[in-house]
Amino acid sequence: MWLTSKIKQIAMALRPGVVTLRYPFEPHPVPENFRGAPHWDHHKCVGCGACANHCSSRCILVRDLCQEIRVMLYDGSRCTYCGRCAEVCPEDAITMTDRFELATGQKEDITETLELFMLTCQRCGRCFDMENTNMLDRLDLRGYRYDSLETRSFIRKTTDQFDKEIFDKTVKYERPDKLGD
Amino acid sequence: MEIVYVFINIVVFLALAPLFDGIIRKLTARVQSRQGPPVIQPYFDLLKLLGKENINSADNRAFKLAPVMALASIISVISFVPLGYKATCLTGYADIITVIYLLTLGGVSILLGALSSKNTYAMIGASREMVTMVMVEPVLAMTFILGAVKVRSLGIDATMFSIAGNGYGWSVGLMLIVYLLALQAFVAKQPFDIAEAEIEILEGPFIEYSGPGYGLFKYYMMLKQMFYASLFVIVFMPFLSSGFYLVDLVIQLAEIAVVFAFIALVGSTNPRLRIDQAVKYYSVLIVLAICAVGLSAYGI
Amino acid sequence: MSTIENVKTGLTEKFGGDITNVDTQIGSRLYIDIKKERIREITEDLVSQGARYLVGVGYDSIDRDNTLGMVHNFAFDRDGFMVCVKTSVPADNPVMDSITPDIWGAGWSEREYMDLLGMKFEGHPKPKRLVLADDWPEGIYPLRKEVPHDLVPPAAEDVAYQIDECPEGTTVVPVGPFHTCLHEPEHFAVYVDGETIKGCDYRGFMTHRGIEKLCTTQVSYNEVPFIAERICGICGTVHATCYSQAVEIAADLKISRRAEYIRTIMLEIERLHSHLLWLGVAGHLIGFDTVFMHSWRVRENIMWLSERITGNRKTYGMVVIGGVRRDITPDIEADILKVMDIVEKEMVTIHGSIAGDTAIHKRTKGVGYISKEDTIKWNLVGPVARARGVDIDSRRDFPYAAYDDMKFDVPVLDSCDVWATVVVRILEIFEAIKIIRQALKGMPDDGPILTEMDEIIKPMIHSISVVEAPRGESVHYVITGEENRADRWRVRAPTYPNLQGVPQMLLNDQFADFPIILGSIDPCFSCTDRVQVINMKSGAMTVMNRNELEQMSRKS
Repeated sequence: MWLTSKIKQIAMALRPGVVTLRYPFEPHPVPENFRGAPHWDHHKCVGCGACANHCSSRCILVRDLCQEIRVMLYDGSRCTYCGRCAEVCPEDAITMTDRFELATGQKEDITETLELFMLTCQRCGRCFDMENTNMLDRLDLRGYRYDSLETRSFIRKTTDQFDKEIFDKTVKYERPDKLGD
Repeated sequence: MEIVYVFINIVVFLALAPLFDGIIRKLTARVQSRQGPPVIQPYFDLLKLLGKENINSADNRAFKLAPVMALASIISVISFVPLGYKATCLTGYADIITVIYLLTLGGVSILLGALSSKNTYAMIGASREMVTMVMVEPVLAMTFILGAVKVRSLGIDATMFSIAGNGYGWSVGLMLIVYLLALQAFVAKQPFDIAEAEIEILEGPFIEYSGPGYGLFKYYMMLKQMFYASLFVIVFMPFLSSGFYLVDLVIQLAEIAVVFAFIALVGSTNPRLRIDQAVKYYSVLIVLAICAVGLSAYGI
Repeated sequence: MSTIENVKTGLTEKFGGDITNVDTQIGSRLYIDIKKERIREITEDLVSQGARYLVGVGYDSIDRDNTLGMVHNFAFDRDGFMVCVKTSVPADNPVMDSITPDIWGAGWSEREYMDLLGMKFEGHPKPKRLVLADDWPEGIYPLRKEVPHDLVPPAAEDVAYQIDECPEGTTVVPVGPFHTCLHEPEHFAVYVDGETIKGCDYRGFMTHRGIEKLCTTQVSYNEVPFIAERICGICGTVHATCYSQAVEIAADLKISRRAEYIRTIMLEIERLHSHLLWLGVAGHLIGFDTVFMHSWRVRENIMWLSERITGNRKTYGMVVIGGVRRDITPDIEADILKVMDIVEKEMVTIHGSIAGDTAIHKRTKGVGYISKEDTIKWNLVGPVARARGVDIDSRRDFPYAAYDDMKFDVPVLDSCDVWATVVVRILEIFEAIKIIRQALKGMPDDGPILTEMDEIIKPMIHSISVVEAPRGESVHYVITGEENRADRWRVRAPTYPNLQGVPQMLLNDQFADFPIILGSIDPCFSCTDRVQVINMKSGAMTVMNRNELEQMSRKS
């Protein structure tokens, strides 16, 4: 009946009352297991690059400055907070924090950079040991990696030697506008 | 002395119409279990709109004139209204035909604005507004005619006070119900905001307006709401008059607030009807109104 | 009642030598390769046996055998199997017969490949551009492998939509691309006579993002579910699950039963979310904001629950190939049951207050009429079809995940109007709560939630999977490929066929009913327009474009 429906509709609001939250004037806590911005613990990170390999948005970049120093850069501007990096990290160095208020005008606020000193193998001169975990087995990271940290872009293939031409192409990449380019 | 009443009318209406609109918004929000804007929000809205750049998107004088005409018409009606049961000095210079004419002029200025904006959506909204006006104004006219039949005069205060002044009869009771049923259509709120605020379906006759023009139209709508509510209070609820002007004024404003609460509750619990369904509804109301007038002609 | 064997023998007998290959897969998929000349006959034959057209998939096979392939997919709902009819045309003369004159639902599938692959379908009643913009240059077919994924051809000046001419005595009211009743940009040219609608033409695909091209050139298998989730703001898990299932079928990977149960729970939670959202939107579209506010208030509980289970309010990120990423622990289970009780109680209140409301009945009963025969002809799916008496539901007809263990009803009404879709969706909300409770009670503990796969997935295997999204049935067709990524992936969202039926529903209704009729199919244009490539950042070699038009977040 029409009138009883109307009365029920008005009464529907009586039990919950006003549900407007006071956010942002009061903080609003999130449940546990929330996937907020990832955070790297530089004490635990071994520089294996598993996170860089698995990141769906290609926003974790790796650059070897020299044989002993590896720079890992996380650029939060394209991060989708999927949590694959945290899942795959063999050292549990990445945690998905509960920070979600990440809007900012400076890129540095959402960037995390780690500069890691890599111990070198005395026999071959390379860095990590691949026997311990499966994730590292599946990496195709070999040799040096030289993602372009300046333009924050990822280099799809790695070669055993640094190739200046490929590197320059990344910096100056322009989208093709006709076929045959 | 009576010239003061004109100014008091205008000041009271201009100052309080946004407040009552704020009450509607607040009450609607509470029914929807949310906090809602502060009750004085419409003042902020009007101030903001009046401060913006006036873009004449249709590039003709009628477009610029329409909101001013609407506001002028409603303010003139307000100066005739015998608020507080005291006729103003202008009340004697007009009669109910003038009031009906000026209210229709307000509607016509919306049409003028809509049709001069050369926009498809505005034209659809204007056609709906025209249909609504044609069907709903007769109910208002019948309300006045009811009183006119009783006192055999067309004067504003005479007709208004006489309708319920000698107690309720069948005719007055019927007219009261009809007026309440038509109130939502008068003030253009759900379920009858078909022409004006059809945000989902069309943007309506105000689509090309922005800034001060839009602010004036909004003010016009708020004043119109308050006028219809005050008309209801003056005509159908005369029993709380005490004789002192200021006390009566305050009592009437409180009653107007109650009417606004009613508008808010009905408005927030109804979907919007289609124009053809609304026309069927209005025709029933017109028939009932004519019956009420007929009954009053027989003195019932 | 037919079985897959009967159909197979029937077709091989009838078409004999023109059938070049027949395959069956997991007992419920039949793949038939046939020469292109007989395609119309075989599809007519299948429809006469009671099959329902699903989608057409075109793919580029030029590097293998210089042909373009086309697959027409059919479903036998009562018998639970699908038939995929594959043909190919040579790349230098890609002409084949159109099946649209017989099967209306194939119209858009064929127009899509005219735009994207350059195939020509003879006899198609409306060979106009569907997907690509009107100023896209001729000769560049984006889905072909030779075209790079981030090609940006120069824009043309002064190009307008090619809308049909309006019929006699009507005027055009343009609705869109930006309109307050639409949540994503699309254009409806509505032909009205006074206030009555006499016809409508649609130009959409403005949120076409190039997901299919991107996921077959830039991304590997297991990253696709994350993108698939972002095809649509509401049916995220549906797309991720459907894709994962298709790849699991192709790779012959069996996932643990526990993972299937968890997938079922996530899918039903998504259904609850979507229907509550829709209820609010439908209320808003008829001007009834109170229903909108209340049903969204109830929806907040579901979003909190999703955040509790998956870490995010909407993009769950739960489903990957091989299972799910997070487990449901006992305290999460307790939270789910609590929220289900709250939602059920609130829904009973809301249902009680709007079921008898004659004002809502006035706006929704008798509106958006389309008869049962037309519904079948246009291949409409989902609550739109169930409100017209067509009893199809992929959860029951093609059981996937854990639905073969669940007992639930499929509400079917036959008043053929918008009010029936409202009631169907409300009943589905109660059924979804029932399914979630059953799934939690019966959840087995039989294996890891993520089954790893050690071998490489064999390339060139076709597979097709369907999942019942809240809007209808969602179909994913996958052709596996090399280099750890799919060779072709076709997403058919439920709004794709439903939109084709909208002009019929609009006929002879009032213009004021346009939003609610459109809203009654629960349009998700982001799901529909997924294929073309648009890049956002310059300088980066691999950039994903996310679904930015989220409503309710969409509607919301």
